[in-house]
Amino acid sequence: MKKISLILLFILLATNVFAIGITPGKTDVDYNPGTSREIEFIVINTDAQDSDFAVLIQGDLNESISVSEVSFKMLAGESEKKLKYKIDIPNSLSPGLHKGEIVVVQLPKKSGTGGAFIGAAVAVATQVHVFVLYPGKYAEASLDVLGPDADGSVTFVIPVTSRGDLDLVRVRADIDIYSSLNEKIDSVTTNQIEIKSGERKEVAVVWKGDVPPGPYRAVATLVYDEQTLKLEREFDLGQQVLDVSSIVVNDFSLGGIAKFEILVENKWNRELSGTYAEMQIYNNKGEVMADFKSPTYDISALSKSVMVAFWDSEGVKAGVYDATLFLRYGSKSDQRELQLDVSNNRINVIGIGYVISEGSSSSLFSNPIVVVLAVGIVLLIIVNALWFIFLRKKLKGRSK
Amino acid sequence: MITNRHILAIDFVIIVGTLISLFFVVGYVTPLVISPVNGYETTNSSVLFEFNNANLILLDDNPSFTSPQEIFAEDNLVINLKSGVYYWKVQGPLSSEVRKLTIVSGIALKVKSLGEDSYEVVNAGNNVLNVDIYENDELSGSVVLRVDEGKEVSGNKFVGGENEEN
Repeated sequence: MKKISLILLFILLATNVFAIGITPGKTDVDYNPGTSREIEFIVINTDAQDSDFAVLIQGDLNESISVSEVSFKMLAGESEKKLKYKIDIPNSLSPGLHKGEIVVVQLPKKSGTGGAFIGAAVAVATQVHVFVLYPGKYAEASLDVLGPDADGSVTFVIPVTSRGDLDLVRVRADIDIYSSLNEKIDSVTTNQIEIKSGERKEVAVVWKGDVPPGPYRAVATLVYDEQTLKLEREFDLGQQVLDVSSIVVNDFSLGGIAKFEILVENKWNRELSGTYAEMQIYNNKGEVMADFKSPTYDISALSKSVMVAFWDSEGVKAGVYDATLFLRYGSKSDQRELQLDVSNNRINVIGIGYVISEGSSSSLFSNPIVVVLAVGIVLLIIVNALWFIFLRKKLKGRSK
Repeated sequence: MITNRHILAIDFVIIVGTLISLFFVVGYVTPLVISPVNGYETTNSSVLFEFNNANLILLDDNPSFTSPQEIFAEDNLVINLKSGVYYWKVQGPLSSEVRKLTIVSGIALKVKSLGEDSYEVVNAGNNVLNVDIYENDELSGSVVLRVDEGKEVSGNKFVGGENEEN
């Protein structure tokens, strides 16, 4: 009876979940008026249930798009279905972005007794974007602030897309940096480049500001030929560091699920969002035998937070295993080398060193192999020089 | 007595010896890149980078590497990437060749029923997802979901698409 109830509950839960996938999410198509293009997309039956689907087209390009099938059925064992749509590029589109959406709707199921639909309709869309270039010279740009690096330097990067039908011959940016009191403290200029129509390139400059930590504002004037574009971005100076305070595993029994509680401290004066921990455990051959991650966390400025990650230890024998803990935050990835002493009812985490991975500038000659090779090359040069400049002439003179 | 023939023989030994040594030195310090192969395309956002003789992975959205993401790695490494086109290389004593990698965007929407007209929408794809919510065919709102994020919403039709600002 209990088993039947469980099966019924499972069926009830299963029918209460609807899922569907589509790839790619977006396709960019060049604007070539009067031409047409066929694009393939894949519908993924994540549900693994018999389902009916309908395909709809929407967006301002809807009249230019036709699909290979407007409705179809997928069986439980069918994981994906390939479809195509054809886009006829209209002759007269105004400059700017034009969009179309091919929406695949998983139709709700009909009830067994009546004809009424039950549940929700779930749909996913693959988009098609057509960009029509503006007449003349036209630049689209944004200002990104990277860093600060370990040495406190900040990189200003301006990705520029030439959206006009004429090439941009000279593109550069002048960047003014302001303090929180709105005082201009420094100015820098990026490199100058040429960007052809439709291309995307970047101008960049590194700023080594010898200024105290705190909030700053960068105001960039992008100069492209005779035109300008103003961009602004606020940024913080101060070191972005996430430190591991402790790692504990409580209530563990070998063969079960180990719950790693990783206490981390945000030593930066801003929130770190989307941070997560990843742990790789290696067997005695050095191969990765487990790789698991925590969910993502947003950690407030100058505060501590516990990240939780689970490891299924089924089939694992007691012993000492090497492991690497990665902390991923922003564009950084720090790693800590550990050892896990796994016994029947506990895991002892042994830390054996900490590596700040990103931004650690390893000098070429910090590697002993490079030093040995460099010495070898120098010896070769000396041997060659000795022979060809001195000994050879001397011996040749004697042989005469 | 050293003759001209002897001198030429020593010339030969030194030149060939030097060339062989340089060949091995360059071969030894040049990074060996194993995977992913050049032009690799996937919908899986976790990518395994396998290489030897290098300790730094450089990733950028352009082959000039004007603003690369630098990831220090002693050994092979799995990196989670957003969808898009990437150029990457590894650096040790020397730099490797530049390879191209594409993470194809995959949209996946999961909807769990929580009761009458109440649902949890979950982003099961590899991109930030925009979900339009309809109530009896009328657009009643929309939510933006990060990868693996879920939110409780009310409605009876949900349409997921790639977030425009992604």
